[in-house]
Amino acid sequence: MALTGIQIYKFLPKTNCKECGFPTCLAFAMKLAAAGVELSACPYVNDEGKAALEAAAKPPIRLVTIGAGEKKIEVGNETVMFRHEKTFVHPTGLVVRIKDTASADEVAKAVEEISGYSVDRVGMTLGMDGFAIQNESGDAATFAKCVATVSSQTDLPLILMAGDPAGMSAALEKVGDAKPALYAATKDNIDQMVELAKKCGCPLAIRSSDGLNELAELTEKAAAAGVKDLILDPGIRGFADSLVTLTQIRRLALAKRFEPLGYPVITFPGEGASSLDEEAVLAAQHIAKYASIVVIDHFTPALALSLITLRLNIYTDPQKPIQMKPGLYQIGEPKADSPLCVTTNFSLTYFSIAGELESAGWPSWLLVCDTEGLSVLTAWSAGKFDAEKIAKAVKGENAAEKMSHRNVIIPGGVAVLRGELEEELPDWKIMVGPREAMAVGGFLKENWKN
Amino acid sequence: MSKFIATSAIRGAQSAVAEADELLQDALQKLGPDAPIAFKDKAGGGTTFYLPVIYGLLGHKVGKLGDLVPVVEHAKSLLPPVPSEDLWLPYLGETLDAGAATLFAFETIEGVRFAKGEQPEKRNGFEYNGPISDVQARSWGIQLVDGRMPGFAAIVGAAKSNEVAVKIVRELQSRGQLIFLCSDSSGRSMVDQLQEEGVDMGYDTYIVPFGSDTTSAIYALGFATIAALSFGGVAAGDFRRILLYNKFRCFAFVLALGPVDDRKYAAAAGAINYGFPVFADTVIPNILPTGITQFEHVVSMPFDDIPGKDDLERAERLVQRCVELRGIKIKIAKVPIPGAYGPAFEGEVVRRADLAAEFGGKGGMCFEWLRMNEMDDVEDGKIEVVGPDIDSFEEGSKVPLGIVVDVSGRKMQKDFEPVLERQMHHMLNGAEGFSHQGQRDITWIRIHKNAIAKGFTLRHIGDILHTCMHNDFGAIVDKVQVTLHSDPEKVKELMEQARVVYKERNARMSGLTDEAVDTFYSCTLCQSFAPNHVCVINPERVGLCGAYSWLDCRASFEINPNGPNQPVPKGTIIDESMGEFEGVNKFVYDHSNKNVERFTLYSLMDSPMTTCGCCECVMAIIPEANGVMIVSRDDYGMTPSGMTFTTLMATVGGGLQTPGMMGHGKTYIASKKFISVEGGIKRLVWLSKNLKEELAEELQEACEREGVPDLMDKIADGSTVTTVEELPTFLEEKGHPALTMDPII
Amino acid sequence: MPEVEIPIEKWTGAVKEVKLGGGGRKEVVVGGETTLPFLTFEGSIPNPPKVAIEVYDKEPSGWPSPLLSAWGDAVKDPGTWAKKAVEFGADIICLKLLSAHPEGGDTGAAEAKAVVDKVLSAVDIPLIVIGPGVAEKDNEVLTAASEAARGQRVALGNCEEKNYRTIAAVCISDGHVAIAKTPLDINLCKQLNIMLSDIGVPLDSTIMDPDTGALGYGIEYGYSINERLRLAGLGGDAMTTLPIINHAGSEVWRQKEAKTGEGVPATWGDHEERSVVWEAVTASTVINAGCDIVVMCHPKAVERIKATIDKLMGK
Repeated sequence: MALTGIQIYKFLPKTNCKECGFPTCLAFAMKLAAAGVELSACPYVNDEGKAALEAAAKPPIRLVTIGAGEKKIEVGNETVMFRHEKTFVHPTGLVVRIKDTASADEVAKAVEEISGYSVDRVGMTLGMDGFAIQNESGDAATFAKCVATVSSQTDLPLILMAGDPAGMSAALEKVGDAKPALYAATKDNIDQMVELAKKCGCPLAIRSSDGLNELAELTEKAAAAGVKDLILDPGIRGFADSLVTLTQIRRLALAKRFEPLGYPVITFPGEGASSLDEEAVLAAQHIAKYASIVVIDHFTPALALSLITLRLNIYTDPQKPIQMKPGLYQIGEPKADSPLCVTTNFSLTYFSIAGELESAGWPSWLLVCDTEGLSVLTAWSAGKFDAEKIAKAVKGENAAEKMSHRNVIIPGGVAVLRGELEEELPDWKIMVGPREAMAVGGFLKENWKN
Repeated sequence: MSKFIATSAIRGAQSAVAEADELLQDALQKLGPDAPIAFKDKAGGGTTFYLPVIYGLLGHKVGKLGDLVPVVEHAKSLLPPVPSEDLWLPYLGETLDAGAATLFAFETIEGVRFAKGEQPEKRNGFEYNGPISDVQARSWGIQLVDGRMPGFAAIVGAAKSNEVAVKIVRELQSRGQLIFLCSDSSGRSMVDQLQEEGVDMGYDTYIVPFGSDTTSAIYALGFATIAALSFGGVAAGDFRRILLYNKFRCFAFVLALGPVDDRKYAAAAGAINYGFPVFADTVIPNILPTGITQFEHVVSMPFDDIPGKDDLERAERLVQRCVELRGIKIKIAKVPIPGAYGPAFEGEVVRRADLAAEFGGKGGMCFEWLRMNEMDDVEDGKIEVVGPDIDSFEEGSKVPLGIVVDVSGRKMQKDFEPVLERQMHHMLNGAEGFSHQGQRDITWIRIHKNAIAKGFTLRHIGDILHTCMHNDFGAIVDKVQVTLHSDPEKVKELMEQARVVYKERNARMSGLTDEAVDTFYSCTLCQSFAPNHVCVINPERVGLCGAYSWLDCRASFEINPNGPNQPVPKGTIIDESMGEFEGVNKFVYDHSNKNVERFTLYSLMDSPMTTCGCCECVMAIIPEANGVMIVSRDDYGMTPSGMTFTTLMATVGGGLQTPGMMGHGKTYIASKKFISVEGGIKRLVWLSKNLKEELAEELQEACEREGVPDLMDKIADGSTVTTVEELPTFLEEKGHPALTMDPII
Repeated sequence: MPEVEIPIEKWTGAVKEVKLGGGGRKEVVVGGETTLPFLTFEGSIPNPPKVAIEVYDKEPSGWPSPLLSAWGDAVKDPGTWAKKAVEFGADIICLKLLSAHPEGGDTGAAEAKAVVDKVLSAVDIPLIVIGPGVAEKDNEVLTAASEAARGQRVALGNCEEKNYRTIAAVCISDGHVAIAKTPLDINLCKQLNIMLSDIGVPLDSTIMDPDTGALGYGIEYGYSINERLRLAGLGGDAMTTLPIINHAGSEVWRQKEAKTGEGVPATWGDHEERSVVWEAVTASTVINAGCDIVVMCHPKAVERIKATIDKLMGK
C-alpha cells in the first residue's frame, strides 16, 4: 500500500534543509508519494525511516535504464493498468533489430538512416530509440565486429542479442561501457549471462518460453545473484497470446505486487507477424498494452512515424494534455485577406478548429494562444484565456503586418471577451465566431466578406 | 370522484354498450360474421393496427364482424351498476371501468359502420376524415415523441360562436397542438363552425374532423394507442403501459364545448383512463385531485365566467388554461425582440458615447427581483411597463428601473428564486446593444442607441426574460410575468421591499445548514478529465470550483434529472463531527470507479474530499506552523509550503485523496464547517492576499463567530511571508492561536 | 519457488448484444462481451468486433489518392460502392448521407430513401445510416431512411444530446438501432444512453459512439473513453454496457498524414503505406480499447484489421 504524503513526512527530518531540491520536507514528501522522486534524494532520512519508506515506495515495476549517454532508454516504473487511472510513465522504447549476417554496407546504411531519423510533432522532435543487434551468424567475432560497427555510428543505446555467452562476452568487450542491455538469459545460459551482466553492470533480459512460472524462477535467480535490472521476455509472439500474457504480467506486478515479474517487458512483433503491415499493427498493440521495449524488424519511415505518434499519444498524461506551441499557424495557404481566428493551445481544440477550417476550404490564419493546454471554456474560466492574452498574441505575432484586414474572430464560447478585447485592440474589429468548431465553415461563409 | 359524474358516465356507458350490442347483432344478421372490417381514412389510408384501441388494450385483432362479439361481451362485463340514490362511494374505479367499456363500445360502433360501408362519414356535402391512417400516425407520432408537437386537443361539441371556434383553433395551433373534432352539441358542431368561417380542415392543417357523432372520438384514442404501440415499444395487450405512455408522453386533453350529456361523460371517463384530462366550458363538477391523469381530471371553466374583455380574450384564456393544466411546456424558438439576440452579444460593451439610456450604476437606482407566486396570481406572458418608456427619456440619461419577475410552476420552489434571478444577467446580455452587470439592487444596465433605433423598448426586457425563463427553466417554471417599473417613486418603494427579501434570502442561506437537510448533491462534471473525482456539495460548502452551491445543484437536478448533479442521500450518520455519512461514502464509492472508499466533509487530514482541476483555492497543512495555508487560483506567488498554486494543484488534482491537502471553493473558508475537525478557521495561518481582501467581510464575521475577532490580523499573506522559515516567527509575533492548538499531525 | 497465480477479474456486467440485419438480410450481432477486449481467460467474447466500410450517397470530392486508386470508379455509385465494400470484406455498410448537408447538396427525404433502397438492394449485409450532422436535416433524412429500411434493422445515427428524439422515435417505431454520439465524455455518454432509454429505445437497440480522434489527433481520448466505458459496464453500470462504434476511418482520412502526399517531410515516408498504416493503427488501437464496430475506409487497412481481429480471437 502506497503511503500518503503526510505518512512519509513523519519519517523525514523536518528540517527543510532543501538539499533534496525541494523547499520543504512536506513538498518533498508529497512528491515522493506521487512517485515523482527517489527517496535517496534526502540525505538525512534515518535508517528506520528508510526501511519503512523503501518498502512502501518500491516501485512495483522496476525502472531499468539501457545505455549510458544522453539518449539512454528508461523504462518501467509503471503504476497503472489503464492510462486514464493516472498516466503511463516511461514511453515504450522503439528499437530496430539488425542482424550480424547483414553486410557491413547494409548495416551502415540502416544505422545511418535510423539514427538520423527524426520527426517533429507538436513542438517535439522525436525519433527511434536504439538498435538491437542479433548474433544471427552464431559467430562471436562476427557479432562483436557488427556491434562495434553499429556502436561507432550511433549514439543510440544498444541491445545485444546473443544466446551464446561467448558472443555476448566478445561484444561486451567492445561496448560494455555503453551499458547495453543483454538479451537474453534463458534457463540454459542464465549463470553465464548473469555473470556477464554483473561484470559490466548491464541490464539483462530474461527469456522463457515455458510459461510465467519459469520466467519468475529465472528472474529470482538473477536477482539473487545480484542482477536487479532485468527485462522480461515471456517468449510469446502472437496477437492474442501476447496481449493476454503481457496483461497478466502487468497485473501480477501491480495488483499482486509479485516482485519476480515486476520488470519491464520486451517484445518482438516482427516475429509474430507475417507482413510489414502486420508487424506495425502488432507493435501498436504492444505500445498500448504493456510492452516497455518493442523491437521491430522492418524499419520504414511511415511505420516509424505511426508508432512514434501512437507512443506519444498513449503516454500523454491525461492530466496534462498535449499542447500546441503558441503562435500564428497557417491553415492551407492563407493570404493577407484570409480570416484570422483565435484559439487556445489545447491540442484537441487546435485539431478540431484547424481541421474544420481546412475541410471547409478556408485558408486561414489561426492564432494559438498559450492557455497552458486548456480548452476554450476551461481556459477562460481559469483566467488563462482573456482579452489581454489574446491582444498580446495578436500584437506579438505581428498580425497587423501579415494581414490586409483588421478582423479577428474569437471563439463563440468566449463572446464575453468582446468588449474588453475592443479596448485592448482598438484598431481591430472583434467578430464572435460559432461556439462549435464544426460551424466555422458556415460562419465564415455568412460573415466573412473580403 | 363526483357522484354526479360517476352516475352520468355509467349511464352513458350502459347506453353505449347497449347500442354497440344492438348494432352488432343487427349487422351480424345482415352481413354475417365474416364481413370484413378495416379502418380507413377518407383518402383510403388504412392501418395495420386493426381497431387500434381494442387491439392495443386487449391484444385482440378485429378483422371481421364476428371478431367484435367477444369485445362487446367484455365491455358488458366491465359495466358497473348505476350508483344508487342513497349510497356515496369513491366511484373512481367504477367510472374508469365504465369509461373503458365506453371505448370498446364506441370502437365497436365505428367498426360496424365501416363494415356497413357507412364510414368515413359524409354529411351535408362535407366529408369527414374518419380514423387516422398509419402513414399520418407515424408522421405525427414522431413529432409527439421528439417534442415538436406536445399533444392533441380532442374537441367535442361546438363553441359559443363561430368567432370563438376560430379563435380556439388558432390558439391551439399556435401552441403546436394537433386538433381533433368530433360530436356536436344541440345539432351544431365545431366542424360546422369552422366550415362556415372557411377554415381548412385536414391533415395538412393539423385539424382533423373525425365525425359528427361522439363515438368518433374513439379515433383520437386510437391515434394515442398507435403512438404508444409504435413509439413506446409497447406490445399489444399491455394496456397498463399504453395508458402510462400516454399519460406521461402525450400531452393531450379533451375540450368539451357546450352541454355535456351522459355519453360525453362516458367518453370523458374513457379519456381519463389514458391520462387525458377533460376541460369543459360549461358548469360541471370539478374533479381536482391528481392521480390517474398527471394533474386535474375534470375542470369546469364556464365560458362566460372566464375573465376577459370579450369572447375572443375569453377563448384565448380558455386555451391558455387548458395548456397550463395539462402541463404543456412551450419552447419559444426566437426571442421576440427587434434586433439580434444570441450568445455572441454577451461580451458587448455599451460605451458612453453610444448610450441611449442607462439604469443603475453609480448614483442610479436599478434592481431586479424574481419572486415565486401562486399559479393563479401569475399571468403567463403578461409584460407591463409601469411609468415612462424609453422614447420619453433624454438620450444618455440615467433612469431608475425596477424589474420584477413573477413566476409560478408546479415544481417551483421558493429556494429557486435566487438561482433563477442570477440567470437574468446571462439572459439579458444576449440582446444586441444591451449590457447588464451586477445583480439584485446593484444591477446596472446600459442600452445602445442602435438598439433603440431598431425599436427596442422596456417591454422587450420582459420579452427576453419571459422567453428565456421558459426555454431554460421550463422544467421548473410554468408561468412568467414581468413588470418593468420606471416611475421613480414606485421603483424606490419596490426596491425597499426587494431589499427586505434579499435580506431574508441571505438569512435563509446562512440558516441552511448541513444538519437541516437530508440530501446533499453531487457534481461529476469534471470526470471527463478527473475520472475518479466526485464533488459532494452540501449547504455549508460550495463545489470546489465555486460555481455550484447546494441550491444551484438542487435546481440543476430538477431541470436535468439525468445530469451531473445528482442527489446524495446522507443516509446513516457515521460521524457527524467528521461529516462522514454512509450515503455519501456509498455514492462516492460507486461514482469514483470504486476508488474512494471514505469521504469526510469536514476534515483535511482524514479522508478529505478529492480534488479535480478547477478548484478556486488549495489548502495545505504547514506542519511547522501547526496550521494550514490557503492559496487562491489568482495568486501566482510563492507560498510558505514551498509550492505555488500550480504545483500544489498538480499534487492534489486529478481526483486523488491527499490527506493534508485539498482543493476547495473560496466561500468555504467562511463556513462554519471549514475544516471543523482540525479546529476551523483558527488553523488558518497564511492566506493569499487577494482572498483576504475579497472575502474581508465574510471572514471577519467568521472570526467573530469563532471567538477570535482579531484573527485576520494574525494571518500571514504573500506580502509578509513567502517562506516556511518566516512563518512561525510572524505567527509568534502576532500571537496566532494555531501555535497553541493540538498538533495537526 | 515463486508460484505464479494469475489474478482473475470477476466482472459482474456484460455488454449488451445488439443485432443488426434480419428480415432476409444477413444478421450481424455485436457486443455480448463479459471481459475486456480479447482477454478470453476471464470471460467470453461471443461476437468479435466488426468492420464497417464507409459508403457515401454521392461521389466523394477531393478524396486523397490512396483511397481513390483503391476504390476506382466504384465510388461513382453508392450501390456499386457497397458491393465492392462487401468484396473487400465489410461486415456492415456505413452509409453516410453527406449530400443532405445544407452545404453539400441539401438533398431531402426522397433522395435519402432512394439511396437507402439502392444500397439495401445492392448488398445483403446490414446497414448503418449516418445523417449529415445538422439536426434538422438528420431528422428529415433519417426518418426517410428508417422507413425505407423497415424490417431490416439498420442502425441510425447520430442521436446527440441536443437532437435525439426524432431519430430515437423512428428507431423505436421501425425497430432499428439508435447510435448515441457524445463528444469524448463518459458522463455525457451515459447521460445520453439514459435519455434514449427513458424515451423508450431498448438498451439492446442502442450503440454508443463516444467519439475518437485519429492517431496523432486525440486518439488517446478515444482510447481512454472506450476503456472507461468498458470498465464501467463490466463493473455493473448498466447504462454503459452498450456496444461501441468508432469512426476510425473518417477521422484518419481528414488528417494530413493520410491525405497528403506532397510537401510533407521525407521522414513521413511513402504516402500510401503511411495512410494505410495510419488507419490500421488507429483502428486496432480503438479495438484494443473496446470498440465493437470500427468504421473504416481503405480496403488494405480493412484487410489488415480483419486479419488482426481473427488473430486476436485466436483464429
